[in-house]
Amino acid sequence: MSDFLETTVDKFTFKVATDCFYNAEGVWAKEENERVRIGLSDFVQQRSGDVAFAEIKPVGTVLAAGEELAVIETIKVNITYTSPVNGKIVEVNPSMNDAPEAINQDPYGAGWLAVMEVADWGAERAKLLDPQAYFKIMKGQAEEETKKL
Amino acid sequence: MTVKAQKVIIVPCSGIGKPYGTVSREAAYEVTEDLRPGQTQLVPLALLVLGDEESRSVVAACPAVTIDGCKLACAAKMVQQSGGTIAQEFAVLDVYRRYKDLKPQGIAELNEGGQKLARVLAEEVTAVVDGLFTGKQGGENA
Repeated sequence: MSDFLETTVDKFTFKVATDCFYNAEGVWAKEENERVRIGLSDFVQQRSGDVAFAEIKPVGTVLAAGEELAVIETIKVNITYTSPVNGKIVEVNPSMNDAPEAINQDPYGAGWLAVMEVADWGAERAKLLDPQAYFKIMKGQAEEETKKL
Repeated sequence: MTVKAQKVIIVPCSGIGKPYGTVSREAAYEVTEDLRPGQTQLVPLALLVLGDEESRSVVAACPAVTIDGCKLACAAKMVQQSGGTIAQEFAVLDVYRRYKDLKPQGIAELNEGGQKLARVLAEEVTAVVDGLFTGKQGGENA
């Protein structure tokens, strides 16, 4: 069970899981038994809107950090998200085919996108934002977004 | 024993700025004006929000089909808050997931995909309406 950093901006509340590391896009990575689970942050899913489709690169795909991991189509936009780590996709969330709304409903849990095998998690983690650093960036992004409303 | 409806109320999304709301309204117009004009009545969500007595009494008296543009489900929530009975809730996004090639675009004027999606949705709503009139709930989502 994750703990969260939480902030409310305007009428929206955003959570950042404290057991994950993040890239600047808001893609999280969490180490689990020498593999890394990947998903989208709560802020990213709220900003993007209701997910219609999630197309994730297939199992076996080798990605460098920054390469395309998934394309998410929401009621607002189509967005490409990149891998936060170097590694190989070893599992894709099967529920993304018929219930991609899990991204909206449970972004740090059932809404995960993929599991990747990485050679050196310690080295990968060092290139990512820790929860506090991402929380600060996310809060700034959220405040910018609300100015547009 | 079957219960047959006298009239079915159709309540679409009233959201602006996204094509999904437009699809919901286009589908509602198609049902109420073209496919089942005598058996259905469109009730604007805004009148329910305002607490309009006439609209509330119609909704309270007849089964309703709601068509929401997003997961906020304002239409379904307002029908419930107005004392109505929802026979079937539709969400445009759920229908779109089944017809991925019909991507709706455009807001004031829908693209071809959006128009086709509205037609598909209208047919699904019509199936539910017909089911209510025959005493059998119809429609794929029923």
